[in-house]
Amino acid sequence: MKFLVLAVFLIVSGVAAADPSAQQIVAASDKVRNPGQPFRLTSTLQEYVAGQPRDRVVLTVYAKEDAATRQFKNLVRYVAPPRDAGKMVLLDGTRMWFYDPASKVSIRISPQQRLIGQASNGDVLTVNLARDYKASIAGEETVKDADRQERACWRLELSAATDDAIYSRIEYWVERSSFRPVKGKYYSDSGRLLKIAYYHAFRDELGAPRPTETIIIDAVDPNLVTTMTSSDYRFETIPEAWFQREFLPRLKAD
Amino acid sequence: MRGTAGALTVALAWSIALPANADDVDLIPQAVRQAAPAAAAPSAPAAKLSLEDALTAWSLRDPVVPLPGGASVDARNRTSLDLRGRWRLQDDLELSLSDRLSLVEQNDFAFPSSQSPRNDWREGYLTWEPAPRAYLEAGRINLRNGVALGFNPTDFFKTRSLVDQISQDPSALRENRLGTLMLHGQTIWDGGSASAAFAPRLYDPTPVQTAPGAGLRAGLDRTNASDRVLLSGSVELADLNPQLLLYHDGDATRLGLNLSRVVGKSVVLYAEWAGGRYPNLITRALAYGRATGTLPANAPPVLPTDPQSAFQNDLALGLSWTGAAKLTVNAEYLYHQAGLSRADWRNWFATGTAQAGSLPVTGALWYIRAWAADQQEPMTREQLFLRAAWSDAFVPHLELSGFALVNLYDRSRLVQFGASYYLSDRWTLGAFLSANVGTADSERGSLPQARSAVLQALYYF
Repeated sequence: MKFLVLAVFLIVSGVAAADPSAQQIVAASDKVRNPGQPFRLTSTLQEYVAGQPRDRVVLTVYAKEDAATRQFKNLVRYVAPPRDAGKMVLLDGTRMWFYDPASKVSIRISPQQRLIGQASNGDVLTVNLARDYKASIAGEETVKDADRQERACWRLELSAATDDAIYSRIEYWVERSSFRPVKGKYYSDSGRLLKIAYYHAFRDELGAPRPTETIIIDAVDPNLVTTMTSSDYRFETIPEAWFQREFLPRLKAD
Repeated sequence: MRGTAGALTVALAWSIALPANADDVDLIPQAVRQAAPAAAAPSAPAAKLSLEDALTAWSLRDPVVPLPGGASVDARNRTSLDLRGRWRLQDDLELSLSDRLSLVEQNDFAFPSSQSPRNDWREGYLTWEPAPRAYLEAGRINLRNGVALGFNPTDFFKTRSLVDQISQDPSALRENRLGTLMLHGQTIWDGGSASAAFAPRLYDPTPVQTAPGAGLRAGLDRTNASDRVLLSGSVELADLNPQLLLYHDGDATRLGLNLSRVVGKSVVLYAEWAGGRYPNLITRALAYGRATGTLPANAPPVLPTDPQSAFQNDLALGLSWTGAAKLTVNAEYLYHQAGLSRADWRNWFATGTAQAGSLPVTGALWYIRAWAADQQEPMTREQLFLRAAWSDAFVPHLELSGFALVNLYDRSRLVQFGASYYLSDRWTLGAFLSANVGTADSERGSLPQARSAVLQALYYF
């Protein structure tokens, strides 16, 4: 099971394991993070300030890969805290809407606006980097993962290749033996480091080992650390019709 | 503002926090490494229950055109239990409820008294889904449309739906309003949707009340006093997300259109338009007053105005911009052709000051304004709406917001500054300061409420 994703990828691509291209490494790593068929999961975001736990946000995420663009579309519903419960966000390329059941209003939001609020952390998890970024191998390094275990990695340099790319540049470390993502550093248009993400707690979910916890360090304020724990993974039938403004009020509660 | 100072602070913190050779993994706090596995995540709650207390004080002034009876309310405390919920009764059947039960203390009536309890039944309806993404609904439904914030020309069911509010922010007024008893059907397919709504006339039109929502009545006389039909359709087209609407309310038909588009990474442009043939605001207000007995049936028009129907346009053109510091700014130009022009306002003040001692005249003049407020219809033809909201302002959990609604003829404005602090997951504290600013003979400066302050405490169960 452990190498299923890698094996499938290599068979499909017909590429020798010894020298995959940078783009192929990123694509294989994308498949470790996300299955190819529609799924849902519960994401619990725990924020730490100066090491002390503070806010906790629970989201239900419905994700589906767009057949044409190979990018993920997400429907995100806030479950907690109570003041935000029921609010929803649709993330589909530049079609992004925020829905508040209190006012029954859907407001169109910009890529910048999506970064306000914890729903934006979802893109660290479900974005298909191979589709939106041009990758190059910057070297091979041994880095410590979140558990301080040393991992032999490729260090990849990713630059935005489409308008949909949220970050202009990403430094990305992928373990050579497993294609597992270990760490990512995400940069803004101005070159400012925004986030450092560590992928760990790999467990079998939806047919392959996947990182069930991502630790996100806010590089602008390093005292701010968020852990994003994924649970309750399920394959789900998600019709295309869900990904539009009019459907937001219609998504049924569990 | 915060941008520069914040950036400097952050740069300093970053330089201290990240020595050149530091390993990023050292930034993960010990508490995170040692954290126990997260407890099972909760599932989405079916209902949201909250308890709120809102204390409002007004500073009053004598308007240049006397308000018959004067403004007497200068203090109010409202304690409310608020419920919003959706319950699945069967796989294809859902019940939705939304209600606010309040106890009101006010300086102009005794407490407790028959005026103290107040109930706002906002929604109560059943949704049946006979086929995937085909919905039939019946009951009291708050059907809302429109992409703008300051004024929604296509929000046709907003009329007479207003209940007691904390914030005067037009974008917040929608949170507490009465739904309309209706039948509603909607179907959603890949890339589009269509809906139809019919709200029957169940009551004769009732007089405009200056004290909104008093008592425990359901208020269906306000929302169901004419037969109304709304058809709407939307498609995904050229990233504009157009929505087309056709509305009929007994004696007038209107068309509506909503468009929006993201430009770059930080800007959303949007436009909302509605148009139809009907008389202007002054004519409709006075006709309603006469029809409901508030104004004498044979009263002559108090202002010179064209009583005929004409094609009237409503338009909101806006943009939102979001900066890196979690600051979002909206700017909108609002046009309401049926509203008062510059000349109409001159007439309003000239008539009101010349006949300040005539109760029928000043009563009719103020009635026009009360009627427009009740309809949530802008009094003025041209306005500018500016709004800013800043999350995690200065400190985490503090949200600051402010807006200005500016009359482009006399520059008078309604301004509000608000602060909400999320004390915990369940507690929110809020404060709002509002002012009607302008000269005595301007739209906002002529209102008896000069300023208001609201303190709010909110607890979510």
